[in-house]
Amino acid sequence: MAGIADFLDSLVGGFDLICYALTIGGLFWGLFVLRPWNITSANSGLLLEKTIALIYKGGFLLAVAQIFKLILKVWLMTAVLERWPFPEFAQTTQFIGGIIRAILTVFLATYCYHTLRQYPYSKTHWVRAALVALPLIVSGAWLVHAAGRFDNQYLQMSLTVLHQLAAAAWVGGVLQLVNLWFLCQKKQISSEFWSLMLRRFSRFGVVAVIMILASGLPIALQYIDSWNGLVGTGYGNLLMVKIILLGMALCFAWLNKRAVDSYSASANDYIITHRVPYYIEAEAFVLITLLFTAASLASQPPTIDVPTLTASWQEVLNTFSPQIPQTISPSHTALIAGEAGRVAIIDQVPSLAATEWSNYNHNIAGIFLTVMSFFAMLSYVKYLPSPLSNLGRYLPLTKYWPLGFVGLGIFLFFRSDAETWPLGPIGFWESTFNNGEVLQHRIATLLVLLLGIFELSARMTKNPESKLPFVFPVMAAFGSLMLLTHSHVGFQAKSAFLIQIGHTSMGIFSLILACGRWLELKLEKPCSDIAGFISVAALFQIGIILMFYREPLY
Amino acid sequence: MNNIVRLFCLCFLFLLSETLSAHAVVTQYSLKITPIQANKSDNVTLTFNSKIELGLSQIYLVSKGDKHQLLTAENSSQQGQIIIHVPALDVGDYAIKFKIFAADGHLTEDVIHFTVLK
Repeated sequence: MAGIADFLDSLVGGFDLICYALTIGGLFWGLFVLRPWNITSANSGLLLEKTIALIYKGGFLLAVAQIFKLILKVWLMTAVLERWPFPEFAQTTQFIGGIIRAILTVFLATYCYHTLRQYPYSKTHWVRAALVALPLIVSGAWLVHAAGRFDNQYLQMSLTVLHQLAAAAWVGGVLQLVNLWFLCQKKQISSEFWSLMLRRFSRFGVVAVIMILASGLPIALQYIDSWNGLVGTGYGNLLMVKIILLGMALCFAWLNKRAVDSYSASANDYIITHRVPYYIEAEAFVLITLLFTAASLASQPPTIDVPTLTASWQEVLNTFSPQIPQTISPSHTALIAGEAGRVAIIDQVPSLAATEWSNYNHNIAGIFLTVMSFFAMLSYVKYLPSPLSNLGRYLPLTKYWPLGFVGLGIFLFFRSDAETWPLGPIGFWESTFNNGEVLQHRIATLLVLLLGIFELSARMTKNPESKLPFVFPVMAAFGSLMLLTHSHVGFQAKSAFLIQIGHTSMGIFSLILACGRWLELKLEKPCSDIAGFISVAALFQIGIILMFYREPLY
Repeated sequence: MNNIVRLFCLCFLFLLSETLSAHAVVTQYSLKITPIQANKSDNVTLTFNSKIELGLSQIYLVSKGDKHQLLTAENSSQQGQIIIHVPALDVGDYAIKFKIFAADGHLTEDVIHFTVLK
């Protein structure tokens, strides 16, 4: 049960940041981008109503997330310590700070719901809402990484709060833009708002990004003391993931800014209405993943504290070096025989069979994905070069590539849990319902099978209104979150870090897969084909990482 | 179809991890410098990178056969440092296994191996 609580804690951490962005970022949006007191357009009422709704809904959800986090902590401690954690827990900063923050959040959300909603055009009320938000923002300082540290505690706490604030301004603004586009698309508000807000936000976004960098850099320099620490620890690795995701989000932001500048010069709104909205949706995907990564980063020991557990850059590079995939599995008997020694604390004996079993599983899964994505890439090819032209008649068959997921699901079913049916002595029902880990694997297997069936149906459907095609990118984005938010598992040990670094890389490619497929579904040709090809190329890259995967002996 | 998609999403949410998150880590421990002598009770100090909530933490001595024995501990005068009371031990290999709740809200499990010499 501790595993469930810990996993939910990671997810709620990310959800908390999204709600924070909706609330605080929404206030920034209202004050600096929307500026309702200057709006003269008659049909702006709905826009303001929806804008404020996002703010107070985000606030109420933030309070729920905060309370839920405390409940999870209690659950986690009860499971791990095997006793009720009160009254000791009630005296901790986490408990007191969490309760205070939840109360302040409810207060802000209630103010926005009751008062700001009544006076949406009043500058005074927007400023008052910002003032009401101030204690909430400040209270967050006692719940961050730096609160438990001894060195430069208040400086680090302040910088972290500034960093969160700048990120909330950007992410909250992007989410408000998505909301604005939905309203424009449904023709519920005047389309002039779209171009106007895009223009204002492109300037505002630049300031937010500068603030993110200006506050984030000193924190990074405080916690990471060497280049090796950046590449060879969990903290450094997740920071690099954040930088890469920031880079991806900035690419979309740059495309949007270029489109806005071009619109200002030519007054042709084709790009800002046919491409920019979808770039912004993809940017929202990236930013949400970024927030979850940030939540995961907060659970890492800073690099500066783990000098003896830092991997060298050569060791990190070695985990990605091409190798012949392992296609021969150790016997099931050898695997089971080595388990007792592997999990022992005293007289621990590393199990070669367990390592090879895992390598085999990863490598074969990699072969599945590589072959599938190869056919997926071929599906974008219209004509084969002349020496292969007689194979061209088979090209239409490549669209059935998602069938590979079905094969992968069957493989996982047999290989995930060596000690259970069909390979091991424990029966199917007994293992599924008596062991949480086995249950997870069974669900994962079922999901892979379903994903194959969903995506295959989506690519074959003749219904242009079908929502089925969107299942795949949403699931891929969720998979990316899983890979990135779980990167902290067992990170103290260097070997565990070397295992995880491959998973975080796959998390990034999984996000590219999601964004690419999303844009393929939304954009028009030829942009959609380019995005689709990038998407399956990312799947190919995931396959390659898995195919070369080597687990350290432990 | 929408229900199937929702169920699908819920199933995805149920994919769980097995281990605990880690923030508080041991930056120094006295066993590195002063090994425990056989048949003599002793104190072991652990220094963490973060403030510790000792009331919400547990420390075990693990001996051969992975037998666990709960140990008592107290806060030292130095921030982030705890003193563990270890009973008299025979010569052999042991480990200190701890579950620590840090002030930043993270619960950490870790193990430190050591050998008792004559």
